[in-house]
Amino acid sequence: MSGKHINLTLKIWRQNGPQAPGSWEIFPAKDISTEASFLEMLDIVNEQLALAGKEPVAFDHDCREGICGTCGCAVNGRPHGPDRETTLCQLHMRRFRDGDTLVIEPYRARAFPVIKDLVVDRSAFDQVIQAGGFVSVNTGQAQDANSLPVPRNKAEEAMDAAACIGCGACVAACPNAAGMLFVSAKVSHLALLPQGRPEAAKRALSMVAQMDALGFGNCTNHKECEVECPKGISIRNIARLNREFIRAAVASTEKIPASGGGQ
Amino acid sequence: MQLDSKIPGGPLETKWDRHRFDMKLVNPANKRKFEIIVVGTGLAGGSASAALAELGYNVKTFCIQDSPRRAHSIAAQGGINAAKNYPNDGDSIWRLFYDTIKGGDFRAREANVYRLAMVSNLIIDHCVAQGIPFAREYGGLLANRSFGGAQVSRTFYARGQTGQQLLLCCYQGMMRQIATGQITMFPRREMLELVMVDGQARGIVVRNLITGEIERHAAHAVVLATGGYGNVFYLSTNGTGCNVSAAWKAYKKGAGFANPCFTQIHPTCIPVHGPYQSKLTLMSESLRNDGRVWVPKQAGDQRPPQEIPEEERDYYLERIYPSFGNLAPRDISSRAAKLMCDQGKGVGSTGLAVYLDFADAIKRLGRKVIEERYGNLFQMYHKITDQDPYEVPMMIFPASHYAMGGLWVDYNLMSTIPGLFVLGEANFSDHGANRLGASALMQGLADGYFVIPYTMGGYLGGTRLSEVNTSHPAFGEAEAQAKARTEKLLGIRGKRTAASFHRDLGNIMWEYCGMGRTDEGMTKGLKLIADLKGEFWQDLLIPGTDTTLNQSLERAGRVADFLEFAELLVTDALARRESCGSHFNEAFQTEDHEALRDDENMCHVAVWEYAGEGKAPIFHKEPLVYENVKLSVRSYK
Amino acid sequence: MIWVVRIFTTSIGKKQLMALTGLLFLLFLATHLLGNLSIYGGQGAFISYAEHLHALGKLLVVAEVGLVVALLIHITLAVILFFENRKARPIQYAVDKSGGGGRTFSSQTMPYTGFLILAFVIFHLATFSHHIVDQTHRNIFQIAYELFSNKGILIFYLAAMVVVALHVRHGLWSAFQTIGANHPKYMPFIEWLSIIFAIIVAVGFGSLPLAILALK
Repeated sequence: MSGKHINLTLKIWRQNGPQAPGSWEIFPAKDISTEASFLEMLDIVNEQLALAGKEPVAFDHDCREGICGTCGCAVNGRPHGPDRETTLCQLHMRRFRDGDTLVIEPYRARAFPVIKDLVVDRSAFDQVIQAGGFVSVNTGQAQDANSLPVPRNKAEEAMDAAACIGCGACVAACPNAAGMLFVSAKVSHLALLPQGRPEAAKRALSMVAQMDALGFGNCTNHKECEVECPKGISIRNIARLNREFIRAAVASTEKIPASGGGQ
Repeated sequence: MQLDSKIPGGPLETKWDRHRFDMKLVNPANKRKFEIIVVGTGLAGGSASAALAELGYNVKTFCIQDSPRRAHSIAAQGGINAAKNYPNDGDSIWRLFYDTIKGGDFRAREANVYRLAMVSNLIIDHCVAQGIPFAREYGGLLANRSFGGAQVSRTFYARGQTGQQLLLCCYQGMMRQIATGQITMFPRREMLELVMVDGQARGIVVRNLITGEIERHAAHAVVLATGGYGNVFYLSTNGTGCNVSAAWKAYKKGAGFANPCFTQIHPTCIPVHGPYQSKLTLMSESLRNDGRVWVPKQAGDQRPPQEIPEEERDYYLERIYPSFGNLAPRDISSRAAKLMCDQGKGVGSTGLAVYLDFADAIKRLGRKVIEERYGNLFQMYHKITDQDPYEVPMMIFPASHYAMGGLWVDYNLMSTIPGLFVLGEANFSDHGANRLGASALMQGLADGYFVIPYTMGGYLGGTRLSEVNTSHPAFGEAEAQAKARTEKLLGIRGKRTAASFHRDLGNIMWEYCGMGRTDEGMTKGLKLIADLKGEFWQDLLIPGTDTTLNQSLERAGRVADFLEFAELLVTDALARRESCGSHFNEAFQTEDHEALRDDENMCHVAVWEYAGEGKAPIFHKEPLVYENVKLSVRSYK
Repeated sequence: MIWVVRIFTTSIGKKQLMALTGLLFLLFLATHLLGNLSIYGGQGAFISYAEHLHALGKLLVVAEVGLVVALLIHITLAVILFFENRKARPIQYAVDKSGGGGRTFSSQTMPYTGFLILAFVIFHLATFSHHIVDQTHRNIFQIAYELFSNKGILIFYLAAMVVVALHVRHGLWSAFQTIGANHPKYMPFIEWLSIIFAIIVAVGFGSLPLAILALK
């Protein structure tokens, strides 16, 4: 119950459906506890909107502990708001000052069309994974877990990459709306482990082809993705993807599919 | 309602093998003629979808989230148990089995739990083969850690994100099958009705959450893997979307609901800080490996923790349970924390918290080691509370976490409705009255990867199934029902939001049917729930329409089901005339406040059958037969 | 589509070709600068360097053709990538300050500095190249001296060198990243090298006109 209370002005993007034209609406957010999370602040505003007979602001959220990757929108132009390595649900209002104006808008990218208000469609990520972001092993085929040692630092590096929560902040932050950090995190996670090596070449080529087909932009090494990633995933993974890609394209027998391997 | 648990005869160790041999098989060419619906894409639903698709069944998978990768299994932190005995510290399948039975306070089925312990090792093998970056030792082999309720190190982990890594690999397995066309994925769909034809589960009716359209889907069998009902307490560690609705719809169509009063209260959560709070965040139980739990010895001691000298601190878990100490099981640790706060020794601004202190561990191991082990948890704690746990002790308090109860299933994981299978947290089968740490992941994956692929074949191969498609009148009825209910909800046009009703319900449940339950309180709780339900249907306000994404409408439907379910939960709690595991009725306790079981009269699964709107549910009993373990007083002292 | 061509239709393939041609230009810049620094040996040394260079004959033509081809590739890809990237975000953010701090001025201005460099290169070739400018009656030193005596041209040259430096500052480390060379051990060195090399280019080339003017 500690902490103080602040008043804010919210400028929020409202859009009733994928085809509807959007527009800005301005609401006051009064008497917000600085201990509340950003999403709890939106809850409070939504409750007030509902009671005033207006439709609440639609926003995606679920676990509210920074791991499911469901939440996310741009706050003052920054995906997940101003804090480093913090998802929107973990951003707390103590970060803001009394009287601040917050501009809240959905992630903007051709690959992530708006569904409603702050909710966007990120199924493009699923389609990229469908193209090869897995190890082709059927249930029951596996040998004993300890029969294949994995150097500890490789396992740790793989874990660094695997920590991706698929929130889309990298795409949202990239000036080119590129999907490279997401794709490279999955390619890296699996390429670093011996279990992922047999399909590494095919995976890199298919996932990149699929990514291209989905309308993401091209990486121009701005590093914005790394800076905004709530899990601190490094662009070294992008370098690894670049390496994996060219090696697979030139030195493997795999071919680059015409437009990804997914549906 | 007939409760046939279908537990195979013979010695415990060979029951599953024999059962697998006895079940009918579906030949590979015929598998593709079958369609299976899976609802939910957490560890259980995800693994089931992938494993069934790998076998060649046509799978249609549904989830309410935007992607199957979001299911709340992702938030599990600590790890997954298996009886690998890699650390050579005395573990075995039998010990994992025994620990789980004992941890569940002898209210789980022996045969199910033994099977769970058996397949636990296969899960680890499969997960490693899928590329899960489990923690490893310098030699490159897998690392293990100890976890609450066990004296061996059998927990495999991927930092504090084990659930995430396991779920993402399930998800990747599913994506692989989607690419081959074996799974058709329907995200952002909410199940509104179960469709029954000739007494068999043959499909579902769902709402497309984006367009509001009602869709019909037919299949030869339906698998529910829709998670637990912890959100009936409003504040819980569950995701905000977690709900009981799918299970509740199945209950209303005739599936028995088992042991709803067994709800786990997790001891290590970040305390409540305000009325606007939307959820409670779990701090992994693994923290108790190195953290020491304490409160001031003196009630009402307001000094900051650093100023309380060692001799004025009460490390109460170490004091009361010397052999398990800070690793005492969840129900016991939670209750102990509540007891301390009841005695006025709670800390923090609300007095509803205890300390979890790492000072000793940091002194012993160095900050770097602690950072490696718990870095992300400490960071999360710091973000939420604005306090640095490396400097000041964490404050923790118990919160609703996991539902041991769920839809009743037999040994094949089939509910009392033929063709309706229930997996993972949504069923009741393996954890009895209390779940041990790192067992939920194990159970979800066991059900999905290693049980349902066999038992589904047994059902489909051995059952006569008529040709059914979505034009069958049963689908029309179900759709009409679903639409009528949506219209009814939208038509109330009252003055209170679903969220506010939910919050009130949570308060009632926590107050009257939470960690310490009394007959008087529960009776009062029932009355309050009924009143609230009445008010809900009079005064609910849902802004917007049902033709676009409408999160208020979604919430309202779920709260409506929670309101009905809450009554069943309390009814079940009242009917259980004992304290066991997570269920603690203050009338049944020992002199030193430990749960007092009644094995004579209460050693059964309580199964409730829906009797119709406004009628009391019908009580059934599945007696629990212990042939291999001796029921003992569960002591962690 | 044959496999080689297919590589360069992918986003990464295009980027890698950009990186390789970019690295080639960096190499060219380094040799060009080294050669031109002969000015500090006096007029004679400078003229002698130019004569030796032209004496390479066919070898020089090969190099020139190579550079032109690389330039065409670099420019074509730049244009394609630029428009693809714009298309990838049809609606811009209402608030888009400098972002989270990953971007640098030089990374954000790459397309524009690139365009300016192209303009400069055309002007530079038009005023210096032995294919265009008659170098039989005047030696290279005289050509340069006359040109830089014009204040406007002098300033244009100096400004152009700053632009080149900006392009190099992002381009150098970026090329390594794109071909996959990023390791915690050596990447910090490459990032430093980008800055240092950019300064060397700006100062090195920028000092040449001044040195020429000073020599007369």
